[in-house]
Amino acid sequence: MGGTVTPPPDQDDPGLARERTALAWTRSALTMAASGVLVARAAFVGDLPELGVVIAVAMATLSVLTWRNGQAIYRERREPSMPQRLQTTAFGVLTVATVLVAATAIVVTVAI
Amino acid sequence: MGESRAETHAETSSNAGATGPNAAGRDAAASEEHLLRRWLSFSARRERRLEQTGSDPDPRFTFANERTFLAWNRTALALIAAGLAAAQFLKFNLHGLRLIIAVPLIVLGAALALASYLHWEDSERAMRLRQPLRYSWMPRVLTGGIAVIAVCGGILAVVDRLIH
Repeated sequence: MGGTVTPPPDQDDPGLARERTALAWTRSALTMAASGVLVARAAFVGDLPELGVVIAVAMATLSVLTWRNGQAIYRERREPSMPQRLQTTAFGVLTVATVLVAATAIVVTVAI
Repeated sequence: MGESRAETHAETSSNAGATGPNAAGRDAAASEEHLLRRWLSFSARRERRLEQTGSDPDPRFTFANERTFLAWNRTALALIAAGLAAAQFLKFNLHGLRLIIAVPLIVLGAALALASYLHWEDSERAMRLRQPLRYSWMPRVLTGGIAVIAVCGGILAVVDRLIH
């Protein structure tokens, strides 16, 4: 009798967890789009219009991909027998993209 | 399929090797593509290794772990956005002073983005092996970082007013 209480695993019905996760992906996609707008705007303010256009296009693409990935998870995992797919690549892309956004943000910050 | 891709790549490189006005640009594009492919295969290998560790946990836990990563990633993006806002909207008499606020916020965001990925992998591995989850130092770094930056902001505001 350990201190942790683990709910019995119910492989047939993960309940609303799947829907919550799809919504989290949607929020992430919206955050990507919003921060893309912010960085692009700052780049234009800092007189780096080319960088602004590149970052705007990249973030818009990434936002759409993030949203679609969330939708795919929601649909794919409806089948209870389906094996789980690890999000290693998607999370890696998000992480690298976030670090690149930070690098761009520093360049823009110094330029303003 | 992999072979044909490698061939295309070799062709691109040899083209880039030929001297021309765009040779350098093409070379850079080819090496970027090469880097991307290496990174993708690296991440595929990581995924396979993680998949072969232990056994699938309760799907609800996997989902919760994913949501936690996504929430940390959004937090990182919010910190970067806050740094950009500081750079644009802080009006110090000494123009450079705003960098002392803006750059640490952005760096903190980048560091948390990297840490949250590692934390996700770590948690996934622990769950697959039915081991206890490790504590994360990220909340402490986030809290401490924001507190230090806020105090610095206050001090800078006073110093900036006193100097002028």
